[in-house]
Amino acid sequence: MKLIGEIISGMTTQTTLQPQTSIKKDNDVILRTSGLTKKFGTLVAVNNLNLELRRGEVFGFLGPNGAGKSTTVGMILGLVAPTAGSIELFGTKLDGNSWPLMRRVGAIIEEPAFFPYLSGRDNLETLSRSIGNVPKAKIDEVLKRVNLFDRAGDRYDHYSMGMKQRLGIASTLLRDPELIILDEPTSGLDPAGTKEVRDLIPELAHESRAVFLCSHLLHEVELVCNRVAIIKQGTLLTSSTVEELTSQGQMLQIKVADQKQAIDLLKTLPWIKSVKIENEFLIVDAPKDSASRVNQALAEHNIFASELVNKAASLEEVFLQLTGGTSGD
Amino acid sequence: MIRLISAEMFKMRKRSMSRVLLFILVGLIIVFYLVLLAVSNANLPHTGARIGNIPNLLGLPVALPFALSLMSWFGTILAIMLAASSIGSEYNWRTIRTTVVSSESRFKLLIAKLISVGIFILIGLIIGLISGFIMSLITTAIGGYKFDFSFFSGTYVWDQFLQFWRTFFVIMPFSLMGFMFAIIGRSAMPGIAAGIGIFFGEQIITGFMYLAKGWIAAIPNYLLNANVQVITALAKLPSGFGGGMGGGGSSDIQAPSVTHAFVVLSIYSIAFIVIGFYLFRKRDVTG
Repeated sequence: MKLIGEIISGMTTQTTLQPQTSIKKDNDVILRTSGLTKKFGTLVAVNNLNLELRRGEVFGFLGPNGAGKSTTVGMILGLVAPTAGSIELFGTKLDGNSWPLMRRVGAIIEEPAFFPYLSGRDNLETLSRSIGNVPKAKIDEVLKRVNLFDRAGDRYDHYSMGMKQRLGIASTLLRDPELIILDEPTSGLDPAGTKEVRDLIPELAHESRAVFLCSHLLHEVELVCNRVAIIKQGTLLTSSTVEELTSQGQMLQIKVADQKQAIDLLKTLPWIKSVKIENEFLIVDAPKDSASRVNQALAEHNIFASELVNKAASLEEVFLQLTGGTSGD
Repeated sequence: MIRLISAEMFKMRKRSMSRVLLFILVGLIIVFYLVLLAVSNANLPHTGARIGNIPNLLGLPVALPFALSLMSWFGTILAIMLAASSIGSEYNWRTIRTTVVSSESRFKLLIAKLISVGIFILIGLIIGLISGFIMSLITTAIGGYKFDFSFFSGTYVWDQFLQFWRTFFVIMPFSLMGFMFAIIGRSAMPGIAAGIGIFFGEQIITGFMYLAKGWIAAIPNYLLNANVQVITALAKLPSGFGGGMGGGGSSDIQAPSVTHAFVVLSIYSIAFIVIGFYLFRKRDVTG
């Protein structure tokens, strides 16, 4: 795990990683924050945050509770005034009159919030009136898209949590947004509901859209996101593709007959950070692409591995390593 | 802007609270008329001006100004609830963020809310007027009084038209105060509590002020209720029923002029709007 830490500490020296696919043009950038900072009194909720989100991406924005995720979303949506820094949406800096830009953004903030005395359909009707230029047929279309059409006439306060979340997603689709911001979209959902919403997210990020997904459910993020940023106490720890993060934090998983002898040997090798036993395997924290060297070292001491594979770290392991495994509260 | 007003009207129209407030308004007018009818039919010694004027008060000529006078009192309370909840409930239900994000600007959102509240208050006044007139017809019939529509003239209609807008005008400062406090407290309850609290509390406090002499007794002229009374007293009601609100008066303190009352109430209304708008635009919307 220390290796993951080293890799990541190297990565954090640059706050924004340019996308690996450098062929992408700058006008593909839907959202860009530069030096974004928010202070509440002496508390720095968000500190010098630099992010980029491009068309077609599902971008995971991760962090423990209280890390500054919702404050960041609030600033992007114009609900919270930044103390410093700037936000660009669709290549245009946000200023006093941001409605033409905001009209292209759909968002669920923290949890879906609708008028309890209105039906699902009436809630969408209210929003469509506010937004303007939303065809009547669009309401039915989005209700069908999230499988709420049959229950659209029920009062919102009679909806289950899953239905509320789905109505929230439907509301984001009303304006056919180019950027969708989802803050904990599977919060409070049962496994079936979670899967339903999770399956919907990549669908939303078709060619002309991007999805900005805030979550601390790492398995969910790992499944749906192309890139992730991890934030703690308002500071960006890393921003990278999911594959890059998990592969750079990979371990070696070795199966040998004599585990004790192997451990004693591996611990003498200076380039091996740690060795531990997990079930019948040795988990070795060694530099990337060191499998052959490890195998050679074992063989020279007549220890022969029956299995030796690269074991990628999960996003959860990376996250816990980065954030220190503590809540941000 | 029109679409924001349309959205706000849609919310208010669909909300049961709006209908409940209208029912309460109509119910209170009905109850008030029935109580007056009962009192006028009671075998009471007609020693005071009030009792003696009850049959006149139930009559058709004063039905409209009397209904407006009633509404300038309890209509104000209901309007405070409506105005405070129109913005405060958005905080309570946490819909404020979605509403703000879906609105062209915070300024236009508040304007739309105020306009829709104003429209609902006007609707309430019209329904109240109709209720008052119908109740006057009923009580006139029950009381065996004479149906006489000779009072109905162009001058009468013009007077009632003016009084209608005067009533609307005196309701607005308290409604705007409720609206402002709901924004300050980020909830409907502070708006309703402060609005109604000040509505009644000011009457009590100014009552004590009137008892004092000198400049203290003049302070109420720069508060809300004394000025509201000046406006509502313009209704042509029988003596003893002139003011929509209670509150004391002192013979040695001259009541403010109509112009003074208009200016003071306008200043309060504008101040409540400006403070509310300033805070709503400046503060973060955090839910």
